[in-house]
Amino acid sequence: MSTRLPIGLTRMSMPLVVWALHFVTVYSLQGLACARALWRAPVAGLETMTWVLWALTALALVVIAVFGAAALRGWRSARAQPDGRTETARMRFLTALSALVALIAAIGVVFTAVPVALLPTCA
Amino acid sequence: MSAPTPDHTIPTPGDHLRHADRIALLERVWANGRGLVGQLTAVNHTTIALRFIVTGLGFLLVGGMLSMFIRLQLSWPGLNVLDPERYAQFVTMHGTTMMFLFAVPIMEGFAMYLIPKMLGTRDLPFPRLSAFGWWCYLFGGLFLYSSFIFGSVPDGGWFMYTPLTDSTYSPGKGADFWLIGVTFAEIAAVTAAVELIVAILVTRAPGMDLTRMPLFAWAILVTAFMIAFGFPPLILASLLLEIQRAFDFAFFEVARGGDPLLWQHLFWLFGHPEVYIIFLPAAGVVSTIVPTFARRPIVGYTWIVLALVATGFLSFGLWVHHMFAVGIPLLALAFFSAASMAVAIPTGIQVFAWIATLWAGKPWLRVPMLYIIGFFITFVCGGLTGVMLAFVPFDWQAHDTHFVVAHLHYVLIGGMMFPMFAGLYYWLPLASGRMPSESLSRSGFWLVFIGFHLAFLPMHITGLVGMPRRVESYAMELGVQWLNLLSTAAGFVLAVGIVAILIDVALCFRLGRRGTENPWQAGTLEWALPHPAPKYNFASIPVVGDRDPLWHDPALVEATRRTDGLLGEAVEGRRWILGTGIQSAQPEQAIRLSGSTWLPLLAALSIAVLLGGFITSQYWLSVLMLLPLVGLFLRWLWTVNGRETPLEIDVAPGLRLPTQAAAHNAPGWWGLVGTLLIVGSLFASLVFAYFYLWLNAPAWPGGGATLTASTPMLAALGALLAAGIGAWRMPIALRAGHARAAVVWSVLAIASAIASLALQLPALADAVGAPQRHAYGSVVWTLAGFQALHVAVAVLIAGFVALRIHRGHVDAVRSLEARIATGFWRYVVAQGLIVWALLHLFPRFA
Repeated sequence: MSTRLPIGLTRMSMPLVVWALHFVTVYSLQGLACARALWRAPVAGLETMTWVLWALTALALVVIAVFGAAALRGWRSARAQPDGRTETARMRFLTALSALVALIAAIGVVFTAVPVALLPTCA
Repeated sequence: MSAPTPDHTIPTPGDHLRHADRIALLERVWANGRGLVGQLTAVNHTTIALRFIVTGLGFLLVGGMLSMFIRLQLSWPGLNVLDPERYAQFVTMHGTTMMFLFAVPIMEGFAMYLIPKMLGTRDLPFPRLSAFGWWCYLFGGLFLYSSFIFGSVPDGGWFMYTPLTDSTYSPGKGADFWLIGVTFAEIAAVTAAVELIVAILVTRAPGMDLTRMPLFAWAILVTAFMIAFGFPPLILASLLLEIQRAFDFAFFEVARGGDPLLWQHLFWLFGHPEVYIIFLPAAGVVSTIVPTFARRPIVGYTWIVLALVATGFLSFGLWVHHMFAVGIPLLALAFFSAASMAVAIPTGIQVFAWIATLWAGKPWLRVPMLYIIGFFITFVCGGLTGVMLAFVPFDWQAHDTHFVVAHLHYVLIGGMMFPMFAGLYYWLPLASGRMPSESLSRSGFWLVFIGFHLAFLPMHITGLVGMPRRVESYAMELGVQWLNLLSTAAGFVLAVGIVAILIDVALCFRLGRRGTENPWQAGTLEWALPHPAPKYNFASIPVVGDRDPLWHDPALVEATRRTDGLLGEAVEGRRWILGTGIQSAQPEQAIRLSGSTWLPLLAALSIAVLLGGFITSQYWLSVLMLLPLVGLFLRWLWTVNGRETPLEIDVAPGLRLPTQAAAHNAPGWWGLVGTLLIVGSLFASLVFAYFYLWLNAPAWPGGGATLTASTPMLAALGALLAAGIGAWRMPIALRAGHARAAVVWSVLAIASAIASLALQLPALADAVGAPQRHAYGSVVWTLAGFQALHVAVAVLIAGFVALRIHRGHVDAVRSLEARIATGFWRYVVAQGLIVWALLHLFPRFA
């Protein structure tokens, strides 16, 4: 049986899954706002939808950060172990990869959110 | 057929043969049959992969020939080389051929050839599936091209936009040839995806854990997952359009509540990831060749894996950037514009890692490396114009002009064809045992490189000036005729270069100078093989201790050619490969593979006749062909993992492993997982279509449909849950040793699932009426049909497994087939619940 590792391939790609979910949700909600006038009422100077999109972005970033922090902790502890063992090398690789995936997923989410700050919901 | 015939000359396990006898046995067991029959029944990966590559190159020539006519027509305004109708046909067939019949299949060919050899195994885990895929690809391509014979060539563009391609604006059979032929050929893409995912996850050589996996394998793993998610939207779109054309459904017709933009969404949901499905394997080739010629290990291995994984995801967030001009709200466009720029980050990471590797190494300029340099220059230009087009205002300006033609050829020829030629030359000594001609291969490169840039660089200008694409001529007033003449002339230089390369490669197999082994002194495992590689690849499965195993341990070459290592003896005279742990790559199981068989060819032929019946509206023939098809697939399944397969074998002295029927990580299980990803993506695309139509519909349910009655609806839900219980209990009973109870649970699941459908369909007929009335009815009936089809397959599977249990082929230990059946059933029940909610619940609240 394979050696169990705290971070596997699925776990490694989770931050990008979060990116994908965020992307799809934001895009769909924006579509609903324009086609079905969902959450268009202004609240504190912005449309409700804009607030919702911001909240979803914050949520996505928090979830990604949690994955990223776990990966970073795993990487630090793997780095503290002595060199030489195959398991240690694998652990270092997977945790480093997971942390970097989280970073790029966070960049992706921010890229998606920037237009929300710059453009009106429907134009 | 692969039915076991007792052969008394074949040794039993425990016999200890001499090395020469063991090699002779491996040769015999892994050989294809003799003559034509042997070719028609071959399944092993070397044969099939080379066929993919040769067929792909054949279609490259055909597609290239079409482009020569296109260039002749455009060489000066007002020419009549092709009339407008022919021009549209040639443009359509050129794009379709290059994307579906050349680029994707040839990359699959490379992957199928190299992955087992690089991973240190003997074959792909489902050899019959590889062969089946190739036949489907070949027949699909021929089906598409037979449209020339019948005088109804597709002319709606390779993107087949509706409403141009619906039966009102494209009467005749042209669009049908496209939809059916391309979908037929795509079977090869999805089967290859499943096969490659499973091969990379469970058949790597012992010791090749995730940190030591070749970057090419990472690239192919990501690509295969992308195919699994990316191809289904197009397959679904093609099915919907074909259903609309054949049976007058209304998915894309505005007058009946449909929406033509739905096609564009589904098409580009496939179409953009497709670009990366083509590019990532090429990037894997580059990541393999660059370290060899830099003569040092790759710099930034982790970063490159990161880039591959990130591209795999981010490239799914770009599809609307092909639709910037269709009138979507600006904010939505901006999401896709931003994602289009984000995807440049991982691509940039890879380019920098390659440059760093060359910088830190001692580069050696041989022919493959020349093509890599050609790739760098061309692809970076194409990438930059891609970033320009990602800006919405710029795209509005350049949309549908030759600027886009220039961009996409820089990306595809630069990003895929140059690396492909690099790979062709790089691995040619391995496949042929001979070296290509240095002078001819260098001339070929320069012809292609100069021809390409002189042909496509001017198109940036002609496009910016305003020369439209997809139109058979242009106005003299644009003043671009000289640039076009240059493009045409250079296009012919490019063509001559490609022909020179192909002649060089073909001659190499006959006349090439005998090469030394591992002529480039590469570090990856495939170079441990004798050149040309024997059909069984490795006489003993190697044990790997490094990312570049041959640089790390030169003695490995010798070890893989002795027969005293892992699986050196062909136990019972059968084809065996080794299965290892997904992360750790420790030996876990012995996997018995099928030998040569007629099944793949016959199955593909049945599909060809079925589709032929469909396109000629002889639906009785299509229905009739389901019989041989189902029969062949049942026979296919019957001939693996039966009680004649031992439960354990000796893979080496002192190492005894379970065979796959009794193993946890069996390839069949992961094959199911891969298949369900594809089926799930197909279903998700259909659900997307449902919601898309809902979003743009004034009333839901539309077209005068009403809500379904409550009683049958609730009863159907109950029956579905009962089916779920039956499917859940079946393997539990089996594991506890109650074979009879397992059969009873199977029967319960079958009966309940059928009852659930039987309750829903009449209620639906009452409430919704004919599917032709409105897009609502069309999508609702398609959902119901989709579920019915899956129930039919699940019923077949459950019946099959029940029979296998009854016959003693499946039991508490040999439980793989029962696990697979339950896995599929769980999926079908879950899908049934979603379909049920969409058919009955959602319209109540919409």
